[in-house]
Amino acid sequence: MDRYMERSYGLLNLIKTNYNSTLDTGDYQSWNGILKSYMGIDKSISNENYQDSISVIEYMIFNNSNPNTLINMITKARENARSVQEHISREIWVAINKYFLKITDKKFYKYYKKNDPIDFINELTQFHHIYYSVADISQERGNAFCFMNLGKYFERILQSIDFLNVKIDILESNENNLNESYFWKNLLISIGGYQLYIKTYKSIFNVENIIEMITINQFFPRSIKFSVDKLYSHITRLNEFNKPESNSLKFLTGKMKNELTYSSISSIKQDGLKNFVYKIQFDLNKISNEINNIYFYQNN
Amino acid sequence: MKLIQNYIQYPEMFDEMFDKKGITRDIYKNFEKFLSKTSVKNLNSMKDFAQQFFMNQGVTFTVYDDDQGVEKIFPFDIIPRIISYSDWKIIESGIKQRITALNLFIRDIYHEQFILNDNIIPAELIISNPNYLREMRNIKVPNDIYTHISGIDLIRNEEGKFFVLEDNLRTPSGVSYMLENREITRRLFPEMIPREKVQPISDYPNLLYNKLKSLSNKKNPVVVMLTPGLYNSAYYEHTALARLMGVELVEGSDLLVDNHYVFMKTAGGLKTVDIIYRRIDDDFLDPLNFKAESVLGIAGIMDSYRQGNVILVNSPGAGIADDKAIYTYVPDMISYYLNEKPILDNIKTYKLTNKDEKDYVLKNIDKLVLKRTDGSGGYGMLMGKSATKEEINKYKLKIEKEPEMYIAQPTLNLSTSPCLIENSLHPRCVDLRPFALFGSDGIEVCPGGLSRVALKKGSLIVNSSQGGGSKDTWIVKN
Repeated sequence: MDRYMERSYGLLNLIKTNYNSTLDTGDYQSWNGILKSYMGIDKSISNENYQDSISVIEYMIFNNSNPNTLINMITKARENARSVQEHISREIWVAINKYFLKITDKKFYKYYKKNDPIDFINELTQFHHIYYSVADISQERGNAFCFMNLGKYFERILQSIDFLNVKIDILESNENNLNESYFWKNLLISIGGYQLYIKTYKSIFNVENIIEMITINQFFPRSIKFSVDKLYSHITRLNEFNKPESNSLKFLTGKMKNELTYSSISSIKQDGLKNFVYKIQFDLNKISNEINNIYFYQNN
Repeated sequence: MKLIQNYIQYPEMFDEMFDKKGITRDIYKNFEKFLSKTSVKNLNSMKDFAQQFFMNQGVTFTVYDDDQGVEKIFPFDIIPRIISYSDWKIIESGIKQRITALNLFIRDIYHEQFILNDNIIPAELIISNPNYLREMRNIKVPNDIYTHISGIDLIRNEEGKFFVLEDNLRTPSGVSYMLENREITRRLFPEMIPREKVQPISDYPNLLYNKLKSLSNKKNPVVVMLTPGLYNSAYYEHTALARLMGVELVEGSDLLVDNHYVFMKTAGGLKTVDIIYRRIDDDFLDPLNFKAESVLGIAGIMDSYRQGNVILVNSPGAGIADDKAIYTYVPDMISYYLNEKPILDNIKTYKLTNKDEKDYVLKNIDKLVLKRTDGSGGYGMLMGKSATKEEINKYKLKIEKEPEMYIAQPTLNLSTSPCLIENSLHPRCVDLRPFALFGSDGIEVCPGGLSRVALKKGSLIVNSSQGGGSKDTWIVKN
């Protein structure tokens, strides 16, 4: 449930940012990259004008046949929520259900057709903000809360990895591009890190600072380090609640947490960013398997 | 199409969108197409959308002497003002030339005073000027830059030629409105902005930060923005710029001077400040050196500045060059310091210290606009054409008392631009304030600027404090 919510929130932010940047640059082709990484659409569609932007957004939000569209992700989040109603607070269920009813309402679809896409997306993001705050104030801090958070922070790390994987090549080759600051600005806005970035590094955009912020900054709520720290604290709590036979899950996560604590941008550069990202993915897989083994695998 | 057919131009004024015969100018052709396809209802809903946007974002300003409350939305007209790229190039080079000369002038005035010794500008005009700061004499300022941030007000005469109306070299405001206006028009005209290749302006805060940073020798200087506080009319702008640059917004009481260094009080203790982008006037900057009763400033900051421990932007004393009496001499400065002809001309201005010119002004007061030389924001002005006899007589007395404090200019014909007012298009007078940034690597002018509009019918006063509004300005490369 939380993974779907987190992923759809990321999608909405990305749509908003890319739409915004097309208003300045007119680069409608930029939708292709998003369609590829978020919707799994590999074939190149020629996006040439504003109307194409509107159609692409419509597709990513409302298309029923692609499992990665917003409407389908929210539907799945709601199905998940329905099946665990006894574990989650009533308020969380209502928040998700309302979101689902809104996005599947035909009138809402018509409303999209008539309105400014940014206003429309802002309205959808509000549902996510309500969801996050309702979960924070109403959900008991038991097993369910920890599992919800595992889903959320797993998804965040995966999104950050996507971000690093997809963009690094472009970033390195475009370092001295004229539109450099535009490009960076939009990229950072799409992950909600622009404000923190300019506060920390001022208006100077460079690859190293951005990588540092996304990987090991401990204050950025979307950095890998921040998310792994959160994974660790929720896994520790799960351990305390359930006292599993093996300590391996906590061990794996603690190891990953400490490796990130003692990483610096120069050590990442020394190992190579690709290796660094690969290692994160590898460790994450191990943690994910271990969660399955300990909490979901039924040993007959 | 009705919208355009019913448009009646002001006589004897240059209209930005239509020529005298009512034919749409080339740069507005695509916009005309849009207007012909859209309904008044749609335009009105765009207007409502814009208004709501400004409300939600908190883009407000404060009007003095207003009983109804302090915060207002800056009136915004949705029809953009469009300028061709070729016209812009002339404006840009004209502004660069002007600021270079003005900066050299300020440096000269506070050092060798060649321009006074060569009798280009009368010395008494400087010495008696309240904007001349003796405290700045012989102070070496970083990179010899005094006018880091300036806003040059331009108008267009009936032939469409651009003239400089005023130089704003102290703390010119309006840049946040320029940025917000673009934010909203890109939403209102999402197809047109990329298609017309409207020159982007959103990089302004980064550019400003980098220009400020370039003034210091330190690798990572600490930059702060100094505001007079919440009740200042431009407070929104101060917060917006600080946020967009990622710097701290501070008030005087957040800073202190110790051993000639400026520090900022933070939760983690005192932190040295290297560069201050101040939005308070010279007079209030330092109670030890200027107005003793000022609580907005920081005691001893001028001493720190003198020692070169902190950089103030713009430099104190820069106001000497944007004084309205000095304005008349800017073309002379350009030829004196740069040996060039002005690219952008001045408006004909009468000096009231000159007896012949004063006699002319007093006889022809109904055709002239009179201004105080140290006034700004449209205060202290007399519009001869619309003033009552009583107002004129009062003003004449003031002139007799201190002629050096006043100048007169012919009643100007500003250019007009179509505005959406009560369900139809009407011409309204506009000016243009482009913003220029001067750092150690040179001058850059942000493409466009703030187009201010006099929203009252027939009015020439565009100042926000006097009921003016604004429009987005598009520099189109198409």
